[in-house]
Amino acid sequence: MQEKMMGFKCKKCGRVMYPKHERCLGCKGTEFEEVGLGDECTLITYTKLYALPEGIEMPPLTLGIVDFGGNVRALGQIMTDEPKIGMKLRPVWGKLRKIGEKEIFGFKFEPAKKS
Amino acid sequence: MRDVAIIGCGMTKFGRSPGDLMDILAEASLRAIDDAGVGERDFDSVYVGNMLAGELFHQTAIASALVDRINLIPAAAERIENGPAAGASAVKNGFLAVASGASDLVLVVGGEKMTGVDTDTITDLISTMNHPTAEYAHGVTMPAMAALLTRLYMERYGLTERHLAMVAVKNHANGMKNPYAQLHKLCTIEGAMSSVMVSDPLRLYYCCPIGDGAAAVVLCPLEKAKEFTDKPIRIAGFGHATDTHTLQERDDPAVLKSVKIAAERAFKMAKLAPKDIDVAELHDAFEILEIAESEDVGFFKKGEGHLAVEKGVTALDGKLPINPSGGLKAKGHPVGATGVAQIVELVWQLRGEAGERQVKDPKRALACNFGGFGNNTLIHILERTG
Repeated sequence: MQEKMMGFKCKKCGRVMYPKHERCLGCKGTEFEEVGLGDECTLITYTKLYALPEGIEMPPLTLGIVDFGGNVRALGQIMTDEPKIGMKLRPVWGKLRKIGEKEIFGFKFEPAKKS
Repeated sequence: MRDVAIIGCGMTKFGRSPGDLMDILAEASLRAIDDAGVGERDFDSVYVGNMLAGELFHQTAIASALVDRINLIPAAAERIENGPAAGASAVKNGFLAVASGASDLVLVVGGEKMTGVDTDTITDLISTMNHPTAEYAHGVTMPAMAALLTRLYMERYGLTERHLAMVAVKNHANGMKNPYAQLHKLCTIEGAMSSVMVSDPLRLYYCCPIGDGAAAVVLCPLEKAKEFTDKPIRIAGFGHATDTHTLQERDDPAVLKSVKIAAERAFKMAKLAPKDIDVAELHDAFEILEIAESEDVGFFKKGEGHLAVEKGVTALDGKLPINPSGGLKAKGHPVGATGVAQIVELVWQLRGEAGERQVKDPKRALACNFGGFGNNTLIHILERTG
């Protein structure tokens, strides 16, 4: 289990990337440090997928792209039946799907709790 | 570099084919060789565009098998794999072989056999083009990727579902006039808008079908083309560009930057501009892609592609007909065949041999073949000579 969703910050130009690249997408730098992407992100687009891939049991599977700010984004499963563009979400670790006999884990996104 | 001409072309009827992959590759190849009128002349090289032969049918090194089957021995032969852009990648390689002076007679064939395997397996294999950990692992499929792009368009540019349906209706109507098309079925706006939901907001009618097919072209130097045909079609330019593997990492996920850059490169090489194009075949694996590509290629302003569809600009009798063949939507999308089939259609259009779907007197044409989900794109520009 991972506690925080991590990105990779280029030590040369400071650009944060997710997923990992061997050379920076901005300056081609090759050294990175892991940085937390933060607890809050914004939904920029989503879909409810009815033609399900292997290892997902109940349709629909809601998928979306979230924005952490600073042009850092991630794609993942959205844990609500009522997704809305602009809604605030937060990453949570969990089971994504089963591929063959293997269970795949990663970060999904659930609505941020109102404080 | 030498000028390169297409002197022959041919394809199989797309859809469910009784034959195997090698049967359809051989059929399209022989049709193109016959159309080129090169008789029993020796070919210097053969490029075979294909994505899934090894994965689906347990056959590898298919280019060696093909040259044996149709006796093009001892031509140099290789398979080109570049996802759904394998076909155009094969054409590009053929072009470079002739342009460089290395080859004088080249066969390019693209083909895919996709039926006979269950749809889930095909959808899964195609989904493996996505980033393994940042996309595929989460359950995203190609229709889901297209749906994410569609919703961005709806939010930002006022695209509605009706516009997707209009593209489908247009392409089905064009496909009705194409004897090689997989789907010969008129579709209505209402029919499209009530078809089954695949990945909201994408319904079945906004996605291309799965099928079998192959398409082939024969290339030679333009200066020698007149020996074989009085209608050689010149490859005026190509552009090929890539973008980030994931959709989310693009500078702007609503912009198909690989399409933009590939188009800029192709226009620069051809010394032409988007306004010079009379007809285009765009990669509408999903109807949103025809709209987005029509903008990023440079035909329409960003965010206005759907308005052009609405006004009939892209219809068969419009100012810039797009996908007269029926596009991937109606003609079908046997992935490795598509990039070559687009060029075959445009050759027929430029020669004035497209029958009922003939566009009025086109002189220049553009094809866009799109790989991954927009991370690897090829553009070719063709021109009538004489």
